[in-house]
Amino acid sequence: MTPFYLFAAIAVGASLLVIAQRNPVYSVLLLIASFGALSGLYVLLDAPFVAVIQIIVYAGAIMVLFLFVVMLLNAPHEETPYDEQVHPLMRPGPMRLGAVLALGLVVELIWALEKGAESGRFAGGAVSNVGAIGRLLFTEYAFAFEVTSILIIVAMVGAVVLARREGAR
Amino acid sequence: MPTPLFIAQIGLTLFVFVMLLSSAAGMVYVERKVAALLQQRIGPYLVGPKGLLQPLADIIKLMFKEELRPSAADAFLFALAPIISATCAFAAFAVVPFGGDTTLLGLIPGGLRLQVADVNVAILVVFAIASMSVYGIVLAGWSSNSKYSLLGGLRSSAQMISYELSYGLALAGVLLVGNSLSLTDIVNRQAGTWLGFIPHWFVVVQPIGFLIYMTAGIAETNRAPFDFPEAEQELVAGYHTEYSSMSFAMFFLAEYVNMVTVSAVATDLFLGGWHGPFLSESIGWIWFLLKVAAILFFYVWMRWTLPRYRYDQLMRFGWKILLPLAVVNLLVTAAGVLYFGS
Repeated sequence: MTPFYLFAAIAVGASLLVIAQRNPVYSVLLLIASFGALSGLYVLLDAPFVAVIQIIVYAGAIMVLFLFVVMLLNAPHEETPYDEQVHPLMRPGPMRLGAVLALGLVVELIWALEKGAESGRFAGGAVSNVGAIGRLLFTEYAFAFEVTSILIIVAMVGAVVLARREGAR
Repeated sequence: MPTPLFIAQIGLTLFVFVMLLSSAAGMVYVERKVAALLQQRIGPYLVGPKGLLQPLADIIKLMFKEELRPSAADAFLFALAPIISATCAFAAFAVVPFGGDTTLLGLIPGGLRLQVADVNVAILVVFAIASMSVYGIVLAGWSSNSKYSLLGGLRSSAQMISYELSYGLALAGVLLVGNSLSLTDIVNRQAGTWLGFIPHWFVVVQPIGFLIYMTAGIAETNRAPFDFPEAEQELVAGYHTEYSSMSFAMFFLAEYVNMVTVSAVATDLFLGGWHGPFLSESIGWIWFLLKVAAILFFYVWMRWTLPRYRYDQLMRFGWKILLPLAVVNLLVTAAGVLYFGS
């Protein structure tokens, strides 16, 4: 039980610190730490495959792009004196949006807790079986899988169109 | 009272750590000697017999150098970056098996596998840690607050992200043929021979996969001819321009340990690991060492033979040649496995 509390504490603590940072580079790093702790939780749940995929996809690929963008923008501090005095989260816009999002999260949590644990298709240690995951993904969840891939391709095409300069071949 | 197996496990972990450290030192010597050989020089010969103590002299020199930090640098990240690099380099080797079961002259009943941690998704762990090691370089470049470092760090992350795709697809080809994500299983599938003399190695069925893996592996470890992060004519020393003393040594160490890990994984995946003729399985690690040493020599040979690519050539090669080739290789492999069975 102890490792669970260790990883859970790191995940929650790091996530809180992500939004408390002024420097976005530190926020990115703390988010990576949080993902690492989540991956530890997956290992405790006997799902090493999910744990490693979490690291490869989120911590390894997506966060590198985040870091890239943050570094290229190179905006460790906000410029104006007002911005320097008031924490970004304390400004009116983020406060209102944050309130709405928090309300949504609370509703979602209550809904999830009400519903209780759904009887898992993967009981026990079966999640580490990559073959079983693949078979399910391409049979039972094939539709969701293909829709996701189309979504990603649309996003890629969109990014290429946006990045292409007008007049360039 | 801890069991002999437990003590042996701890001992094995320490042993692997020390061996990786000394292999880095050894590689420095080999690198210098082979470079000298290729350039018709003698190389280091003053310190110790045949210059064998040269790496030790280098380490002592690095330890006694002054530790400098640019005043505009981000102190915490500047200190953290080399630690991330070195940690990732060592961590990847934890899942790499380097020999069959051994009883250590009968001391350990039941036998001990020569691998620090037997993870059933070992290939993915290697890949995950490789994808994490980019942070050390990126953060070093950013936190130094120097234009050369930043450019070096950005280049390196772009390069590593580009070549990681081909690297992953080459790994996927092997795991299709090996029908497992565990490195131990994959090595054991490569035992035996065809027709009595062709070894059952995956390099025979995955020759293109092996080439892609080695190319992407050299790019991932930032070695010549892909050593852009530290292209000295353009970027002084790239991401570690501002580093000195032991924090520079950590990057140096990480580079050499990464080379050893890439070679060890290549040996396990493509060259049959510890399987080979003449030697029984209990001393198969000798074969493993020989194969790793051969790949490492190849690494050094490449560095002193090929000139560095241009950056646009590197990107074009990675995205327009290597990646499509890796995809085709994966498709052909999958069709082959489906048709012939694994």
